[in-house]
Amino acid sequence: MRFPFFNLFKPSPLEGLIEHMDKVKECGAAFQEAIECHISNECHRFAELKQVVDDLEHQADAIKRRIRGHLPKGTLMPVDKFQLFRYLGEQDNVLDSVQDTLDWLSFRKEPGVPEEIHKDILLLVEASLDAVDAMGVMLAEARHYFRTYSEGQRAKVKDLIRSIRQKEHEADLAEDLVKEKVFNMGLDGVTVFHMVRLAEIIGSIADHAENAGDMMRAMISK
Amino acid sequence: MSPESIILVLGYAVGLYMAWNIGANDLANSMASAVGAKAITVRQAMVIAAVLNVVGAAFIGSHVTDTIRHGIVSPEVLADPRDTIVGALSALLSAALWVSFATWRSLPVSTTHSIVGAMIGFGVTSSGFAAIQWNVMGGVVLSWVISPLFALVIGLGMFKLIVWLVMARSKPHERALHYSPLFIGLAVFIVVMSFLYKTPLGKTLQVATPLATILSILAAAMVGYAGKWALDRTVRRHPEKGAEAVFRFIQVGTACYVALAQGANDVANAIGPLAVIYFFVTYGEIGSKVPVPIFLLLFGGVGIAAGIVMAGRRVMETLGERVTTLTNTRGFSVEFAAATTVLIASKLGLPVSTTHSAVGGIIGVGLAGGIDAVNLSVVFRIILYWVLTVPAAALTCVAVYTTLRLFL
Repeated sequence: MRFPFFNLFKPSPLEGLIEHMDKVKECGAAFQEAIECHISNECHRFAELKQVVDDLEHQADAIKRRIRGHLPKGTLMPVDKFQLFRYLGEQDNVLDSVQDTLDWLSFRKEPGVPEEIHKDILLLVEASLDAVDAMGVMLAEARHYFRTYSEGQRAKVKDLIRSIRQKEHEADLAEDLVKEKVFNMGLDGVTVFHMVRLAEIIGSIADHAENAGDMMRAMISK
Repeated sequence: MSPESIILVLGYAVGLYMAWNIGANDLANSMASAVGAKAITVRQAMVIAAVLNVVGAAFIGSHVTDTIRHGIVSPEVLADPRDTIVGALSALLSAALWVSFATWRSLPVSTTHSIVGAMIGFGVTSSGFAAIQWNVMGGVVLSWVISPLFALVIGLGMFKLIVWLVMARSKPHERALHYSPLFIGLAVFIVVMSFLYKTPLGKTLQVATPLATILSILAAAMVGYAGKWALDRTVRRHPEKGAEAVFRFIQVGTACYVALAQGANDVANAIGPLAVIYFFVTYGEIGSKVPVPIFLLLFGGVGIAAGIVMAGRRVMETLGERVTTLTNTRGFSVEFAAATTVLIASKLGLPVSTTHSAVGGIIGVGLAGGIDAVNLSVVFRIILYWVLTVPAAALTCVAVYTTLRLFL
């Protein structure tokens, strides 16, 4: 059938970002549970939860490839194609960091995370995931902005980007605290390295959320 | 059975097929943005389109047709009446074949341009290249560029205007209601003006330009404020639905207009050549213009409606699923751009196509950032087929006419 309209419209890449974000959110919840499980002595589901995260990361990867593969040259969009790809890349890096964290933990099961820093690690995870949650809200509001082009909506998105930045800063502080403690606890060198690197990877989750926010700031600029 | 009667029977069959094709394909043009933006359901779109196409075809469609559509071929070719009716049948058949091919290849071509191309094929075969009115052909070529470009500019401008006046503001719902008389009025102005100019109804009424303008402005103001009155009593209660709810209401009106105008304008593409054959068979003579009896217009209208009902559902359902990024403000901008372009271009005497204008409108709204992803690579393919339509239909007609002439 000859429908000009039909062939002219391509699936919305912005909807694709939302779909990808849904996977990020699901992954965040499973990740938090996995970390709690790893720290607790009574939980034996770490491997299972790690598998959940791996599966979600895999599904998100497929969405990412679908978005990238379906925007050929000559696709007219309200945002620059490469800004969109950069944004998507950062959103996807959040998942990679989540996956890296669990991988890193799994490389050295014993003696695990020293009890003295359990609370600090959990706080760091929470601070990082706070930034990821804020990124989710920011994307939903940005999606709304591209529908309405409302000035108020744009201001809201900018505020949310600022709040991601703030949350990333808090995650940085939590990361520094962990490192400082680890270096001054008199642990063996291997554990120090394991924990410092762990803190850095968890911290990078928030960094990627912040980068995604900055990219969105560029996408909504006038 | 005399050869004339055979030609007439064949004419009915091919005319019906052509009308069916118009209905099956062009429904998407008038109703796509309304269905895509969920202003109306698929079923409503089909009922509205079927009814308004029949009404448009039978009551506003031309009661007199040029024997040669759009005067593309000089009247000298009409010297032999038998030649003329075989030519009319060949043109109809060739245009229908080309449209069917384009349908199969999923490409939007203009039924108007197909019939114009087929007429050229007939003219060249029967009287040589000298028979072609090149200035009319120039108009056709111009319309390939002008109608999409014009619609693009209007679509872009209209969407930007809606953003600027309504959507970017703090209370878009209230702003949309406040400016609703302007948007309804603009649409009504275009509707009334195009009916006074583009359609045969307007030609019979013979309203002069200044009077037509005044009438259109009056109608625009009246309908605009009546619309606001109605909106104040319905949509105002739901501020949470935002500006889109207001434009959803306006959009139903513009979609109806496109369907009505489509019936009125396109019916002649299927019925015009048939009317020529009918007139000759009935009265034994032929002129450069022939009257089109109302039953033929109805026949065409019903053919279009049949196409809509039989093939339209699948089209519309797929559209409703795929075209999800088109909201009411976008749909309104596209329809407004297409309708305005058709009005102004017809006023300039160009045979324009609603299809071409709608494509331009979509690109315009896309350029204004209104659509998440417009596939521009498809546009080049679409343009190629617009340009190919005339020569392809012409060549088909040369073959069909030469073959038919052997037997009839």
